Amino acid sequence: MFTIALKDIKQYFKDKTAVFLSLLLPIALITIFALMYGGIGKSEKSRPINLLFTDQDKTNLSQEVFSTLDAEEGLKLEIKSYDEAETLIKKGKRTAVLVLYKGFQDSVETGKKIPMELFYDEAKEIEMGLLQQALWSNLFGVTMKKGIKGKVNTWIKDKNPDLSNSEIEDIQAQVAEQFEGFNNSGEQSEIEENSELPMTALVGEKKNGNLGLVQAIAGIAIMMLLFSVSASGASLLKEKEDGTFRRLLIAPVSPSGILYGKMLSTLFMAVLQLSVMFLYSWLVLGLDIFINLPALILMILCAAIACSSFGIFMASVCKSRKQVESLSTLIILVISAIGGSMMPLFFMPAIMKKLAVISVNYWAMEGFFDIFWRQLPLIDILPKMIILLGITAVLTSISVISFRRNLLKMV
Amino acid sequence: MLVAKNLSKSYKEVKALTDVTLNIQKGELYGMLGPNGAGKTTTISILSSLLKPDNGKIFYEEKSLYQNLSECKKLIGVVPQEIALYEDLTASENLKFWGTMYGIKGQQLQNKSDELLEFLGLADRKNHKIKTYSGGMKRRINIAAALLHDPKIVFMDEPTVGIDPQSRNLIFEVIEELHSRGLTMIYTTHYMEEAERLCDRIGIIDEGRIIAEGSLDELKANSSIKEEIHLKYSNPNKNGLEQLTDRYNGQLLINDDHLILSSSQANAELPELIQLCSQSKLLLDKIDIRSLSLESIFLELTGKSLRD
Repeated sequence: MFTIALKDIKQYFKDKTAVFLSLLLPIALITIFALMYGGIGKSEKSRPINLLFTDQDKTNLSQEVFSTLDAEEGLKLEIKSYDEAETLIKKGKRTAVLVLYKGFQDSVETGKKIPMELFYDEAKEIEMGLLQQALWSNLFGVTMKKGIKGKVNTWIKDKNPDLSNSEIEDIQAQVAEQFEGFNNSGEQSEIEENSELPMTALVGEKKNGNLGLVQAIAGIAIMMLLFSVSASGASLLKEKEDGTFRRLLIAPVSPSGILYGKMLSTLFMAVLQLSVMFLYSWLVLGLDIFINLPALILMILCAAIACSSFGIFMASVCKSRKQVESLSTLIILVISAIGGSMMPLFFMPAIMKKLAVISVNYWAMEGFFDIFWRQLPLIDILPKMIILLGITAVLTSISVISFRRNLLKMV
Repeated sequence: MLVAKNLSKSYKEVKALTDVTLNIQKGELYGMLGPNGAGKTTTISILSSLLKPDNGKIFYEEKSLYQNLSECKKLIGVVPQEIALYEDLTASENLKFWGTMYGIKGQQLQNKSDELLEFLGLADRKNHKIKTYSGGMKRRINIAAALLHDPKIVFMDEPTVGIDPQSRNLIFEVIEELHSRGLTMIYTTHYMEEAERLCDRIGIIDEGRIIAEGSLDELKANSSIKEEIHLKYSNPNKNGLEQLTDRYNGQLLINDDHLILSSSQANAELPELIQLCSQSKLLLDKIDIRSLSLESIFLELTGKSLRD
């Protein structure tokens, strides 16, 4: 078994171009996907969302709203008439328009219903979600302050008709100081502090975490690994085609020994490939692989074992290398798509998320997400590792049976 | 050394072997002669444990193959028909791998590998990849890989297929040397010249049956044919050749530019043959009477040519 594995490893390293490509191709893809997904989870680097702004009020307050929103890093404002804005949104070129109607400032100051409206493209759900976050906090920050000042002013005049103008101005100045103080010092007034809704993210960006980067590395590394192990498993069929398999069977070694020898060499190459991918991700893409090194090593081993068993499984159920090549390409693309290697699972409909559990990609990626994104302790990642080992056990058992039924009959 | 009794093997409806019995003595070079598809490779596959027969028993040194599989496998060396080597490994690496598969290690393996490479005249190319070798050189390494573990019996399945005459002669010399050292061998071929030159005994196999067996002299003595008339013609007249084939049905072999008539009394049959050739408008260049060959014996036994 070890002799066969060592021979295979020697053969693997003999073809230096193939070794180079087997490592270079996944690295190239990981880099491209890391660049594509890199923004996810890093709001400070995300592309600003375009928001159209229609000002029909043209007052100081409407200008203030514009300035406040324009200063927000996540928004890029463009002033347009309502008709222009409507056309752009209907053509899918912009996501939304905020319209401040005539009487906006008066209504805010007198505490009436504020005449404003947001028109948006319903198809752009994800952008709208992000837009709402940026919009509400800034827009209501401005309108609420002015609204409260207006209400206080009206209340003072109604309740204290005998107060002189200078006294009313003093009170207004005191109230204004509360709000201006918030703007200038960054400290919240008691009113605002009490009215603020506290929000705490349960899952979010932590130190060194980057959802997009983890998605790119784990997703692509596993998918490319599956391609590599399929090719490696196909070497079993190449042995058959070249006649060396017959010679192996004549030698005093059991057929299962040949199969396990192949699996061992495939496992070695899989561990090597995954390790190189993560080292590259650490050195070039800045992924902190030392965040939970024991878990990472175990996860690499489990993912490599599961993927290797897939390679041997393909070689055992197919009758020729051509069959392995075409069938494994099809299966890998399907399980990679449903397992989340190609696209993050949260983009997918519920049915696809349920289907994902049949994919080796899903469990391997979940394990890597646990390590790098959720930053769970090893004990919480173990179930994913056990599932991967379970997949290995099932695939290997089928491989041994198929190997005896198919390959041994083909000599 | 090897006793195989009543071996039979079928693939679905097709009978590949029927009641094949062999008794190979120690140090003997036994030739198995038959056309393609006669059952030679199936026999070798069964004898080397690669295939299980439907019926029959096999004994190596009086030990049952299937009851002592691991032990018997170490007694056997197989030179397969195809080049069963790793093309991207060197000759030395290939030999070390195959030697290790038989449990040979370390210095013993190194010495054996070097000795064989020297014996086969490939010592200076031992660190070159197999894919850079010529067909004949590959064939020689293919033989070496079967000899590393000092087997007691070696099966050579058409080891000269697809190589040039010079390489073929080199391989013959290797086989003759191994034979002189007392190695037991079973050699399959469809070239009668190889069987005639190399083998102590020859088994003629056709359609999965051994139809005749013995030394070359025994086979000749048992044949009703005694001589061969070789006629070389200059005009391949199709109609004329057809007329002759009809007249000498099962006795006549037609090759590229000559025909061979198997005959029990060549001198008596020759005048009639010449007359028929004249009537068939075949222009004869050369007439030759030769002693009996395996080709004619095979024709007599099966009614077809070895190359059919």
